[in-house]
Amino acid sequence: MIRLIVRRLLLGVVTIGCIYALTFVMVISLPGNPFQQGLHNIPPEAEMALRARYNMDNNWLYFTEFLAGAVRLDFGPTFTYNDWTCNQIIASALPVSLLIGLLAILIAVMVGVPIGVLSAVKRGSWFDVTSLTFVLLGISLPTFVTGSAMLIVCSVCLRIAPVGGWGTLAHLPLPALALSLPFVAYIARLTRTGMLDALGSDFVRTALAKGASRRTVVWRHALKVAFLPVLSFLGPASAQAMTGSFVVEKVFGVPGIGQHFVNAALNRDAGLIMSTVLVFSTLLVAFNLVVDVLYAWIDPRISEAV
Amino acid sequence: MIRNLFLICVALLLTALSIYTLGSRKPRADFTYVNPSGIHTLDPSRMSWTQDFRVALNIWEGLTTWHPETLEPIEGAALFPPDISSDGLTYVFTIRDDTRWSNGDRVTSRDFLRGWRRGLEPGTATDYTFLLADNIAGADEYVRWRREAVGELVAMKRLCDGWSINARQARTIAQSRVFKELQARVGDTLRAPEAEAEEWRWESWIQGIAPRVDWENLYDRMFQKHVSELRSRFDDVGIVTRDDQTLVVRLAQPCPYFLDLIALPIFLPCHESIELLRERYRGTLITAEGLVVYDPQWTKPDYHRNNYPGLVTNGPYRLSDWTFKRRARLTVNPHHRTAKTITCRTVDMMVYDNISASIMAYEAGDVDFLPAMDVPYDHEIARLAQTGERKDFHLCHVLATYFLNFNCVSESVDGRPNPFVDPRIRRAFALAIDRERIVEKVLKRGDRVARSFVPPDTISGYQPPTGLVMDVDRARGLLAEAGYPEGVGLPAIELLYTPSDERVCQAMGRMWEDALGVRVELRSKESKTFAEDKASHRYMIARGNWYADYNDPMTFLDCLSTGNGNNDSGYVNPRYDAMLAEASVIRDPVKRAALLRQAEAIIVEEDLPILPILHYAAPIAIKPYVSDLYANSRLWFPFRYVTVER
Repeated sequence: MIRLIVRRLLLGVVTIGCIYALTFVMVISLPGNPFQQGLHNIPPEAEMALRARYNMDNNWLYFTEFLAGAVRLDFGPTFTYNDWTCNQIIASALPVSLLIGLLAILIAVMVGVPIGVLSAVKRGSWFDVTSLTFVLLGISLPTFVTGSAMLIVCSVCLRIAPVGGWGTLAHLPLPALALSLPFVAYIARLTRTGMLDALGSDFVRTALAKGASRRTVVWRHALKVAFLPVLSFLGPASAQAMTGSFVVEKVFGVPGIGQHFVNAALNRDAGLIMSTVLVFSTLLVAFNLVVDVLYAWIDPRISEAV
Repeated sequence: MIRNLFLICVALLLTALSIYTLGSRKPRADFTYVNPSGIHTLDPSRMSWTQDFRVALNIWEGLTTWHPETLEPIEGAALFPPDISSDGLTYVFTIRDDTRWSNGDRVTSRDFLRGWRRGLEPGTATDYTFLLADNIAGADEYVRWRREAVGELVAMKRLCDGWSINARQARTIAQSRVFKELQARVGDTLRAPEAEAEEWRWESWIQGIAPRVDWENLYDRMFQKHVSELRSRFDDVGIVTRDDQTLVVRLAQPCPYFLDLIALPIFLPCHESIELLRERYRGTLITAEGLVVYDPQWTKPDYHRNNYPGLVTNGPYRLSDWTFKRRARLTVNPHHRTAKTITCRTVDMMVYDNISASIMAYEAGDVDFLPAMDVPYDHEIARLAQTGERKDFHLCHVLATYFLNFNCVSESVDGRPNPFVDPRIRRAFALAIDRERIVEKVLKRGDRVARSFVPPDTISGYQPPTGLVMDVDRARGLLAEAGYPEGVGLPAIELLYTPSDERVCQAMGRMWEDALGVRVELRSKESKTFAEDKASHRYMIARGNWYADYNDPMTFLDCLSTGNGNNDSGYVNPRYDAMLAEASVIRDPVKRAALLRQAEAIIVEEDLPILPILHYAAPIAIKPYVSDLYANSRLWFPFRYVTVER
């Protein structure tokens, strides 16, 4: 187990390094001037001085200095929001996204798994058909549609939730729910497929033959096997949910980190682009590591294999 | 057991995150408005967006400010009007006795000097240096001298640290005085390539000589020399503090709109506490690169590095709380002379990235004022405002113009000949556009048709020329005259724009195709790429827009003078330049306006470096219980006059 963790950690560091290098190359080859603020063109001498100040007149210097900063968890300045540092922006936005994302994943697991199990057990029934339709909708309907619909129904018509924004507990449920929908759908589908496989396998028949109740067999024996694909999906899904969704943030006015991914690229804000990418990739690697460890714990054959 | 532990951990994490991100709930402010994208920066010298200006001008106060309804310059921190010399070149401002900073300190003339000087410094990276440099005596020379020196210092510092530099920096080094002196001493071995030589020649030259030169020594000499000259050079700039209360400003030429101009944020004062956050190098007041730099976080009310007291301002409000991209709260500055008369004691600026959501919040009563409503259904909002169905929706006819730039300089674009160097073709293209159709049928936002660069009926004392009215026959005639009858022989015309201009540009492309028989290629580019293509003249026709900086035709007309940094058309016309130069020294306002009108006629009737399309209308929403907030052409909304009776 420890060997697995150490190997994965080393691999993670290499992965993040590669991502950083790739992002850096893309960032420096972007056209456009990061220092231009409004309609006025910035004088070339002033641009040069600013480039020098942020080490951007020498790519190698910029690459190493930014990396050195990032290792110390200091991501330096942003150009778009001059008064804030990348660290402050991440510290303000990331916890928001973590909270919404964590809630979304919890909802996804708590709703998606039972739906999947039930539709597998009652295969072909009206419940299965309805849930399949729901799953299909959840996967194919974009969040800006479901999100806006929820906002209009719950906030404008029923007045049971605030119209977007952030600051109270009441601001939490809608965005979390909107963000969770596609995950609910995926998890339900994965559980259903896994469950169908598991219910048809020998150990389930054995357990049933030995007199275990159907309920125990489904929820204890079969689900444990059927949950494995869900678990491997949860790693990247959590990272994706917790690093923010631009669309959900935009629709509900949630000040999460997703918007900075998009806006930083549009604004050519090199520091913010690289810091958000680094944060995202670190989270992704970390969640995958956690999932691998859990996997090995649930199914010990895995750790022997790797 | 493990499962329970896991659940407890998740629950704890959720609670911690909620407490950390949600914060404590604050009671609603007296007045709440929405700033859709949040504040870009609160540094008055650096800002260039209207929404940032709005916050800045409510928390700071310049020597003058604008009337909330008429927009005329009125009394600010100084007595109004100031003493103006008979030649119109010297302004003597007396700071009012009762002007105080939000910490109780007296506002002095030095605070203004500090603020204005920041606007001149290359390290501040402001968009508006030109407002100071163009108007104040000696300022332009100072700015040039500083920029040049900074370029040299940056390049030398790099070489000292053993880094390579690029061709442009190499050129800077070769032209610097200390390097030329060195050359004179050691002779030909350091000879630089020709100024026009290719980049790689310059790069290989600097790589070749780098190991042979003692850069440390050169840099030190240059740095010291520059530091020693800093003071005397700035003394030549026409901003002088006669005493604590008197600021004397000498202008380079008369500027009839100077009192209007100095209400802009770049002319705001700056409290002395900012000096605590100044970056220093070897005990000097500048950085190793020669820049004047302050810790950019000085604009935060709760920033206390180096005993910094947090942001101190001198306006009717002070910034009491600012969270990134969420909210800013302004509270009355108790030391402001009007503090007692202000009824909105607290103002909240909320951020809604999604403007539709802000409109919903307004409808739900969470917000009292929306200064921006540019949504995909803005035509519907404009309709509601125009028909009076919604008495709380208003249209502001903004002092701004939406136009097309013609590329007047490049002989070829992407290997294709650029026909727009010929003014006849530009005129032909302008004559073929049906602006009424664009404004009334395509956009339907209540904008005004533009045939001139300067919006009519907005600047007092100035009426722009009539401009060109659509005339397809004349357009065809001009095209034939230029050698392209029926558009035959013209290359495919490229129209460059950003995604938000899709509808207008499609419509115009179609009009040209129908009227002139040309083929139009629409090229939509993401805004930064677009801006770069445009600034480097890699386009034939590109969309453009301009928002007035001050209340005078010059703010528009100056953009098209030769060599202006914002002359994206690359338009050069000595006659036009001469007229603007002449107008800038005329003291009689009527004669001046007539001359400017003539100059504008060259732009919009003869040469057409730009093709004006429309003057923007911006919808705003003000709750009926809010009074003394006016729809105006500069989207200037001072909150100190506002009363709210819910």
